[in-house]
Amino acid sequence: MKKTKFFFNLDKEEEWLNDMAQQGLVLSKKGIKYTFDQVNDKRLIKIDYRTFKSKKDLEDYILLFEDSGWKHLAGNKNSGKQYFMKKEAHANEDIFSDQRSKAERYKRMSDVWLNSAIAYIPIVVLLYQMKMIDIGSILNPRSLYLTPGLWELTGSSFWKAFLFETPFALGRGFVWLLFPILIILYIVFIIKARMEYKKSVPDNDFKGY
Amino acid sequence: MKRNKHIPLTETVYYILLALFEPAHGYLIMQKVEELSEGEVRMAAGTLYGAIENLLKLKFIEPVKSEDKRRKVYVITQEGKNILLLDCERMKHIIATTKEKLIEGGI
Repeated sequence: MKKTKFFFNLDKEEEWLNDMAQQGLVLSKKGIKYTFDQVNDKRLIKIDYRTFKSKKDLEDYILLFEDSGWKHLAGNKNSGKQYFMKKEAHANEDIFSDQRSKAERYKRMSDVWLNSAIAYIPIVVLLYQMKMIDIGSILNPRSLYLTPGLWELTGSSFWKAFLFETPFALGRGFVWLLFPILIILYIVFIIKARMEYKKSVPDNDFKGY
Repeated sequence: MKRNKHIPLTETVYYILLALFEPAHGYLIMQKVEELSEGEVRMAAGTLYGAIENLLKLKFIEPVKSEDKRRKVYVITQEGKNILLLDCERMKHIIATTKEKLIEGGI
């Protein structure tokens, strides 16, 4: 079974996955969609957030969890979210044993998004240098229509030609906007993740771990 | 003298460093920490993984070659031993001072 959902808060996502598991549906794959398998044992599911430099690093990480009684359900080296299910009774009740290391998931999340946002900046600069970013066309959208004599047409022949060309005009004028929009979206994510981190990290000054 | 900014170590970090006087992989570290602390400190996998990364960054521990090709194995560095010793001295002083005060206070 497949489901599409978007979670920002990891605790809420865990809660939902555990509810699904209670119905006998355990996560087996996570791409854009969540894929569930019908299984009999209903066990605790927890989420970590981590990316890895190499497949070997990921394997070493997964083995540490497997050794300590947690099965890796889904996640790859770049996915960030790593899903685990408790498979042995002797395992701890959580994959974190203190509040700080649990909160630090959000710190890593915000770092990943920061890197994505930074990666888009050269694209915007390049588009600007190639004069693809045309602020003037926002003020004068008519300039985006290239059909000769379009603005002299009247009645239904005008509307037909106008509507026909509109998608092309939008493409010509505003495709570049996608990138600044993505950057802004990432910045929103970064701020949200930082807020989650601040909210859940213990306020005292003791060092981590 | 300016105090080392990594002092005091947390209890878990202290035990991880102690556990790594002999090379060990992640799960073995968890078991050793539990044993050394007489069951008082039970680390979970996610917390330990983060702690290892942090200690590698600080160069208090380093990876070593091992027969286990799939699990990374670590050992304490000289720098790690130095910091452990510094923190031990700090605690010794705390203990000595506490004892003195307790005797003075007549408990």
